[in-house]
Amino acid sequence: MKIIEVSNLKKSYGTNHVLQGVNFQAQSGEVIGVIGKNGAGKSTFLEILMTIKQYDAGTVIVLDENIESLPMNRLELVRKQISVVLQPTQFYKTLKVEELLKLFKAYYKSSIDIKKIIIDFKLEPHRKKYFDKLSGGWKQIVSLAIAFLSEPKLLILDEPTTGLDPHMRNMLWSYITDYNKRTGGTVILTTHNMDEIELYCDKVMLINNGVNEVFDTTEGILASGYKSINEFYLAKVSI
Amino acid sequence: MLGTQLKYDLIMFSRELFYLVFTVFVPPATYIFMGQLFGEQTYAGNLSYAQTYTPSFILLITFTVIFFAFGFDQVTQRTTGVEKRISLSPVSKNTLLLSSIIRSTIITSFGYGFILIIGMLMYDLEFHLLSFLTSYGFFILLNAVLLTIASAIYSFFQNMNSALVFSIVIFQVVIFTGGFAMPISMMPKFIQIIADFNPMYHMNNLFIAVWNGQLTFDNNVLLAIGYIGALVIVALFILRIQNRQKIG
Ligand SMILES: Nc1ncnc2c1ncn2[C@@H]1O[C@H](COP(=O)(O)OP(=O)(O)OP(=O)(O)O)[C@@H](O)[C@H]1O
Ligand SMILES: [Mg+2]
Repeated sequence: MKIIEVSNLKKSYGTNHVLQGVNFQAQSGEVIGVIGKNGAGKSTFLEILMTIKQYDAGTVIVLDENIESLPMNRLELVRKQISVVLQPTQFYKTLKVEELLKLFKAYYKSSIDIKKIIIDFKLEPHRKKYFDKLSGGWKQIVSLAIAFLSEPKLLILDEPTTGLDPHMRNMLWSYITDYNKRTGGTVILTTHNMDEIELYCDKVMLINNGVNEVFDTTEGILASGYKSINEFYLAKVSI
Repeated sequence: MLGTQLKYDLIMFSRELFYLVFTVFVPPATYIFMGQLFGEQTYAGNLSYAQTYTPSFILLITFTVIFFAFGFDQVTQRTTGVEKRISLSPVSKNTLLLSSIIRSTIITSFGYGFILIIGMLMYDLEFHLLSFLTSYGFFILLNAVLLTIASAIYSFFQNMNSALVFSIVIFQVVIFTGGFAMPISMMPKFIQIIADFNPMYHMNNLFIAVWNGQLTFDNNVLLAIGYIGALVIVALFILRIQNRQKIG
């Protein structure tokens, strides 16, 4: 089943033509990595998929809805089925970690036990800290924990592993793969770590010069003669 | 849902020292302080200090709460990216708005009670149930007016620093030209002219009149009501346009 269908997507900020015709599809159950250099337009692309950014041209269909000119109430229905991590992530500064989890649990009307999330994401020592006072990595982890409070159809993560130490990174990936296997949910994420793409993603989209220069399965790329995704990236993208 | 949101909204308010100082601390302190200086004087309409300045300071608290903890707070959420993150959560905009309206009304009502009690304890203010009910009803109306105007004004700000500077300047302007410091009739001419354009000055006069059962619908009062009503309509109009732009 198609979860996302994007064709000829264009987006500029003034004279900065960031996306100049991106085509993209996601089937249900896929884990797709979006890569490209700093400023290539990855976050812009993901925020358009999240339905929170206007675009200039093209078609974007998310969960069977053409999001252009969708009335607010239908848009809210689409958003209900998506969980996200934004770059950079921000929450109410003066709430404590546990309070944030409780508040978002209420938003999602989630049956997931906060205690379990706190244990899984190793948040116990930070439960009573203000979000604002956490280190960058822990903010990121809280943001991820919140994303996993619900079991969405679609998970969109903008650089979820940036700032995480190796243990937390492994923990997060086991969470993502477990969610994906168990619920069949679709995951779209960006990362600058090519090993993660190789290990965990079914498909890769490379955004370069405003277009999806490559959009292929990870296996397909490796089979075409590259030793690793890292080598593929270095060969495809110039500085 | 609304209950949970409201609970955390109130918790967040109580943790913002800046809001607390400007809303729950400065106005009551000024009320007490001015009472020590001018408590014995008689004011327009043959009213005592407490009869004039109790409604005034309740209105001042209402103003600071609504402009800082409601309006300025919206700008903070918008510019720090919190609004963006929350918009991706399955909570409706209406719930959030309703919660922040209820929050601000709870806080201003608390301010109402606080000033009222100080007035009764220190400045011989009398309590009559009927006039209390009328005054409180009028006070809720003033809340609605200020909420609408503040939303419209702060919807223009995309930057926290400019919103902060604006808030502090407007706070000063309101204090001096709204009749909260000295009676406007004792002020220089140019202040009196500014006061005529300051809706807070008119709301203040109306509230004092309602509080003391002296409201008569003469030309001045009708003009003031018309002026405030016009501002509310303009504000509603602005809000409609701004909301339409934000969708998507
Ligand atoms: N709100 C905005 N206004 C103006 N320009 C923007 C805005 N957001 C992004 N840009 C510009 O668009 C381009 C793409 O930005 P984007 O954040 O999508 O890149 P990215 O691929 O996510 O980069 P990174 O890997 O560093 O996160 C950049 O040149 C950036 O400066
Ligand atoms: Mg980015």
